[in-house]
Amino acid sequence: MEGLVRLSFYAFAASSIALAAATVCYLIFAFGWIRNRGTALAGAGGPTVMIDNGSSFTESMGRFATMLAWFAVAFQGISIALRSIAAGRLPLSNMYEFSKTFIFIVLLVYLIFERWYGVKQVGTVVLPLALAMAGYVWALPTRLREVDPLVPALQNIPLMTIHVSMAIIAYSTFAVSFAAAVLYLIAKDRNISWLPKPALLDDLAYRAVTIGFPAMTLVLILGSVWAYRAWGTYWQWDPKETAALFTWLIYGVYLHTRSLRGWRGTRSAVVLLVGFAAVMFTYYGNYFFGGLHAYGGVR
Amino acid sequence: MANVSVPSPAAQQSPVDVVVDRIWRFFVSVKAAIWEIVFLTVLVLIGTLRGSSVPQWIADHVPGTSGLVERWYAWDVWHSLPFMGILTLLAVAITICTANRAPGIWQSIAHPTVTTTRGFLRNAELSATMDLPESREAAVATISAELRGARYRVLTEERGSETHVYADRFRYGKLGTFPFHLALITVLVGGVVGAKWGFRENAFLVPEGVTRAVEHGTAVSVRVDDFQEVYRETGTAKEFRSSIAILENGEEVAAGSVSPNHPLTYGDMVFYQSGFGQAVHIDWVDPTTGQLVEERLPLGEFQSKNNPDAAAAVIDLVPAGVQLTIVAPDSDPRNQPELDLLKLRSGQMYLQVSPLPGNTALTTKVESVINQGETVELGGVPFTFVREKRFTVLQVARNPAIPLFIASSFLLVGGLACTFYFPHRRIRGIIAGTGPETSQVMLAPMARRDWSAARSFTSVVERMREHLHAPIVLVDREQSEAATSTGE
Ligand code: HEM
Repeated sequence: MEGLVRLSFYAFAASSIALAAATVCYLIFAFGWIRNRGTALAGAGGPTVMIDNGSSFTESMGRFATMLAWFAVAFQGISIALRSIAAGRLPLSNMYEFSKTFIFIVLLVYLIFERWYGVKQVGTVVLPLALAMAGYVWALPTRLREVDPLVPALQNIPLMTIHVSMAIIAYSTFAVSFAAAVLYLIAKDRNISWLPKPALLDDLAYRAVTIGFPAMTLVLILGSVWAYRAWGTYWQWDPKETAALFTWLIYGVYLHTRSLRGWRGTRSAVVLLVGFAAVMFTYYGNYFFGGLHAYGGVR
Repeated sequence: MANVSVPSPAAQQSPVDVVVDRIWRFFVSVKAAIWEIVFLTVLVLIGTLRGSSVPQWIADHVPGTSGLVERWYAWDVWHSLPFMGILTLLAVAITICTANRAPGIWQSIAHPTVTTTRGFLRNAELSATMDLPESREAAVATISAELRGARYRVLTEERGSETHVYADRFRYGKLGTFPFHLALITVLVGGVVGAKWGFRENAFLVPEGVTRAVEHGTAVSVRVDDFQEVYRETGTAKEFRSSIAILENGEEVAAGSVSPNHPLTYGDMVFYQSGFGQAVHIDWVDPTTGQLVEERLPLGEFQSKNNPDAAAAVIDLVPAGVQLTIVAPDSDPRNQPELDLLKLRSGQMYLQVSPLPGNTALTTKVESVINQGETVELGGVPFTFVREKRFTVLQVARNPAIPLFIASSFLLVGGLACTFYFPHRRIRGIIAGTGPETSQVMLAPMARRDWSAARSFTSVVERMREHLHAPIVLVDREQSEAATSTGE
C-alpha cells in the first residue's frame, strides 16, 4: 500500500516536471509569434496583417507544448490511479488530493478545447495556472501526502466522488473560460496577430461556461443530497455552500447578460474574471471559513 | 429577447392602470431581472463573508470599520428581510417573465416567419451565395434536401418570383429555460414547505436501552438498543453507529443501524446518527410505591468542580424528595485526571444526594463512591449502579418537500442541458430564378455575434459545396471588417 502511494507521488513529480516544461514551451510559442510579428512589421515598413507565417521553430514549440501537456496529463492520471488503488477511492478528500485531481482535469479540459477550436494560445494562461496549482500542492504539509482514512462525515464514497468531481469539472472549465477572457481583453481593439480572433475567444469562453454552469448546478444539488444524507439537512447556509452559490450566481449573471442583453466581448470577459475570482475564493475557502466543510486538512 | 411591448400608458389611463402597467413593465423587464440577480449575488457574498475571517481582516486593516464589521457579523443575512424579499421578487419576476415570453417563443417554434428580406441576407455577418444550373423549383428541392440532410426542418414560402426559405434545428431546445426557471421557483417553494410542514431535531439524545418519543404531532418513538464506536490510535472517532428501533403507537415498525451518512428512513421521517456520549444506568427504589425505577442518564451536560473535566449529570427524583448528582471518572490523560479530587477509577461512579425543598427527613448532602453492580443507600433511597452506558445523539427530520427538490434537480439540469447543448440554429434564405434553367440561392444564418452558430452554418455550406459541386461564395463580413468589430 505504502509503495503505491510513493509510486503515485513519483508520478506526480514527473507530471510536475512535464507541466513546467509544457508551460515554458507554451510561453515560448506565444513569444515566438510576438517576435515574428515584430520582424514582419519592421520588414514591411507598415501595418501588416499577418496570416499564419509563424516560423518553424515557433510551430514546433507549439507541438512540443501540446505533447508535454499530454505527458503531464498522463503522469497525473497514473498518479491519481495509483493513489485511488491505494486508498480504495478517488483522491478527492483533502486539499492535496483535490488539487492534484484539479490539475489533471484542468489540463485535460484545456487540451480538449485546444483540439476543438484548433488554438493553442489559451494554453499560455491555463498552463501557468496549472503550474501554480502544482506549486501549491508541493508547498502543502507533507503529512497530507499520506492516505488518511476518511472522517465519518465523508464516508459516502459514491456521493463524495461525484459531488467533488463535478466541482473539479466546473472549476476547470471556469479556468479555461477565464483564460479565454484574459486573452480576449488583450486581443480586443488591438490587431494582435498571434492571438485568435476575439470572437473565437469570446465563444470559447462561453462554451466552457456552458459546461461549467450545469456542472456547478450539479455540485450544488449533489452537495445538498449529500448534506441531507450526512447531516440531515439539505442546505445549512454553511459558508462553503454559500460561496459555491455565489459563484453559481455570478455565472448566472454572465449567461443572462449574454443571452438577454446581448453582451459580448469586454463586458462579458470582465464578468468572467469576477466569476473566476469567486471560484478561487470558493476553492481556497477552507483558509478563511469555519463551518462544516473545514476538513480540507489545511486549517 | 421577447420583452413584449406593452402599450404605453395613454393620457386617459387611470392612475391605477398606470401603476399596474409600471409594475408589469418592471416584472417583464429583463434588465430589472439582471439587477435582481446581481442584488441577490451581492447579498449571498455578504452572508458568505460573514462566516469567514474576511470582515475581521478588514476591521484590523481598515481604520474606522470595526463598528461596521461588528454589525456585519451580527446580521443574519439568510433570515433577513432583504434576502427573503429578493427571493420573493425573483420568484414573481420569473413567473411573470415566463408567462410573458411563452406565447412568443411557442410562436417562433411552431409558426416561425418564413419570409425574409434581401437586406437581412446582405447585411448578415455571414452569408452564402450560389448559382445553380436548375430551375427555381428544382433548386428549392435541392437546397431543402441539403438542409434536411443536415437535420434542419425546412419551411418555404413563395413570394412572386422568389422562394423564401426558413430552416431550423433544435427548435425545442429553446424551451429548456422554462423547466430551469420553474425549478428555481419550486426550490424556493420547497424551502417554504420544508420550513412550515417539516421539522428537525438537531440533538435528539437517547441513552442505550431507552425509548424516546419524537413528538411533533407524531406517534413515533425511537428505542436505542445498542451503541458502538471504534477509535483510531489518534483518539478520534473512526466510526460510530447505533442500533435503533422505530415504534409507532408503541409497536415496533422498523429497525436498523444508523451511522453518519447512513440514516434510517421510516415513512417520511429520517433518523441520522450525529454524535454520542457517555450515560449511566442506575436503578433506585421509589420510597412512596416501593417500585424499582430504571434510570438511564446521559452524562456530560454538567460538570462538577471535584472532577472538572469528567462527565456528570444531575436529576431531581421528585417522589423521593432528593436531587441526585452523578460524576463519572475522567479517563482522558490530557485532562490530568490525577489532579481530580474524587480520584475515581474506571468502573466507579460518585453519587451525591441532596434534599429537594420540602424534604424534612434529609438535612444535609450525603455522598458515596460505588462500583459497578453495587447498591448503596443514600438519603433513604437505595441506588444500584447497574452499568455504564452510552447515549447516542440522533437527528430526526421530516421534510415533506424532498420530492419537490428531487423533481427540481432534474428540471434544473435537464433544462440547462436542453438550452446549452441543443441551441436553436436558424438559417434564412431566398431562392430566385435567374433564367428558365438557372437560379440563385442566398442563405444566411441567424447568428449575430454567435461564433458557434456561424461555424455550424459554415459546415452546412461546406456540405453543400461537396454535394452540389457548385461554386459557393461564402462572405464573412466580420472577418473583412477586421477582427475588432466584435466589441459591444
Ligand atoms: C437566480 C435567478 C436566475 C437564474 C440563476 C437564471 C438562470 C438562467 C440561465 C442559466 C439561462 C440560460 C442562458 C442562456 O440561454 O445562455 C437563463 C435564461 C433566461 N432567463 Fe434566467 N435565471 C434567473 C432568473 C431569471 C428571472 C428573474 C428572469 C425573468 C425576468 C429570467 C429570465 C430569463 C430569460 C428571458 C432567459 C432567456 C431564455 C432564452 O434565451 O431563451 N431569469 N436564465
